[in-house]
Amino acid sequence: MADETLAPVPTILDTFIELLPEIGKAAGETGLMMLICLTAAVIVGGALGILVFLTSPGQVLGRYRRFNLVANGFINVFRSFPFIILLVAVSPFTRHIVGTSIGPLAASVPLSLAAIFYFARIIEQTLRDVPRGVIEAAEAMGASPLQIVTQVLLVEARSGLILAVTITAVSFLSYSAVAGVVGGGGIGDLAIRYGYYRFQTDVMLITIVLLVVLVQGIQFFGQWLARRVDKR
Amino acid sequence: MTTQNTDSPALALRGVSKSFRTPDGQQVGVHPTDLDVAPGEIHGIIGFSGAGKSTLLRLANLLERPDAGQVVVHGQDLMTLSPADLRTARQRIGMIFQHFNLLHNRTVADNVAFPLRIAGADEARINERVKTCLEFVGLSEKAGVYPAQLSGGQKQRVAIARALAPEPHVLLADEPTSALDPRTTQSLLEVLADVNRRLGVTILLVSHEMGVIRRLCHRVSVMEGGSIVERLTIANGRIPPDSQLAQWLREYGDAEGDAEEAAAEPAPQHLLSEAAHG
Ligand SMILES: Nc1ncnc2c1ncn2[C@@H]1O[C@H](COP(=O)(O)OP(=O)(O)O)[C@@H](O)[C@H]1O
Ligand SMILES: [Mg+2]
Repeated sequence: MADETLAPVPTILDTFIELLPEIGKAAGETGLMMLICLTAAVIVGGALGILVFLTSPGQVLGRYRRFNLVANGFINVFRSFPFIILLVAVSPFTRHIVGTSIGPLAASVPLSLAAIFYFARIIEQTLRDVPRGVIEAAEAMGASPLQIVTQVLLVEARSGLILAVTITAVSFLSYSAVAGVVGGGGIGDLAIRYGYYRFQTDVMLITIVLLVVLVQGIQFFGQWLARRVDKR
Repeated sequence: MTTQNTDSPALALRGVSKSFRTPDGQQVGVHPTDLDVAPGEIHGIIGFSGAGKSTLLRLANLLERPDAGQVVVHGQDLMTLSPADLRTARQRIGMIFQHFNLLHNRTVADNVAFPLRIAGADEARINERVKTCLEFVGLSEKAGVYPAQLSGGQKQRVAIARALAPEPHVLLADEPTSALDPRTTQSLLEVLADVNRRLGVTILLVSHEMGVIRRLCHRVSVMEGGSIVERLTIANGRIPPDSQLAQWLREYGDAEGDAEEAAAEPAPQHLLSEAAHG
């Protein structure tokens, strides 16, 4: 007779509770990577996108044609790197500025680089939705280029800009999982370590559900906010 | 030479020309042209599509920089100004457009306040000007509304209020009624006539609609192929019957389809005084 007092098979809930500290740590790492790369994207990428837009032909600073060509080239070059290759290619640079090439801080370097150029392109395209005539009206009223940016472009395109942040956040949530492969940590890393290497399908499931909920949340909130501020 | 006196024009274009570089070569927008607009005048520019009307108008506030010539507004040669001084000069040159070009994410009041905020005016003055200008165009009760909730005629009234807010001496208008139906056009022309008569604003107005010219303008310049081909004085809405313009009207008719009458009959007296609501 077999022993009737066998330990019960752990349910997915048990696994979840058992893994809670690890999940919490992973979520924190993902949060840190997202915070760094989105901040870099919005500040540096946003500024770059605005400048590329302003210097494009027929726009307010269209006379700075050379800047436009160079900046556009830069964006295209960085955007054409497959992320995993960018990750490896910049690792000497990463080690130089972070001191190590593993961990969430190190992973934030290639993530930020990719996010900056990704966001710059989206911003430049989003600003194209602002009718030239509206910008021209502001010029005719004596607005400076800076005033045109802060009082016209960022106001008129604000719902598109919110959607741009939303789509960047979703994309880079998934990129941050790739960064996990090279020791970046985070939720994606957790999924790969337990689910892929150790065949713990339940752990993989938990992390996937977590990611789906996160993506839905970001998307839903972004769309809700974009709709709310759109008076057009 | 550029000091202002009562006889000097409110706006003068001296030998201005403009061509554009396009993929298929140089495209002339405006051949070397002179235009004087007297203080208090409503001056029309009429012509067929592509004649260079908009380009000529846009030269007047340097939205297009002329290839040659001088642009003198209030006795000031705009071409010689630094970018910052040009911006200051532009604050006193109002402009309205065919498609209104309002800021859609700002309320009516904030649209009217916009040129004043740009100029760094204080809030007390901004509030006072917004109130006055919205009253002038008959839209006081729409102050808190967004442009999307307005009709075309109302949007153009807001654009006029916005242009008037910094108390301009000159108003440039590019096809201001071409996106509007005839009745709305009519009431908008009354607003523009009021702007000229009650506020003394000089108006340079582009239109391809004969009715607009007849009802509003004191003088008209007829453009064709980038040049002014005829300059006429319109007395009581009457187009001199021996003019090129009258000839065109007989040939192609009027936007309102009353070509014969347009050339021969005087139009109703200048305009009604009370602005109807569009
Ligand atoms: N930004 C531009 N680039 C190239 N060509 C232009 C530009 N603006 C105007 N043109 C050309 O100049 C001519 C006059 O145009 P425009 O002043 O807009 O005429 P209108 O207002 O009388 O219809 C047209 O042949 C037009 O194609
Ligand atoms: Mg035109």
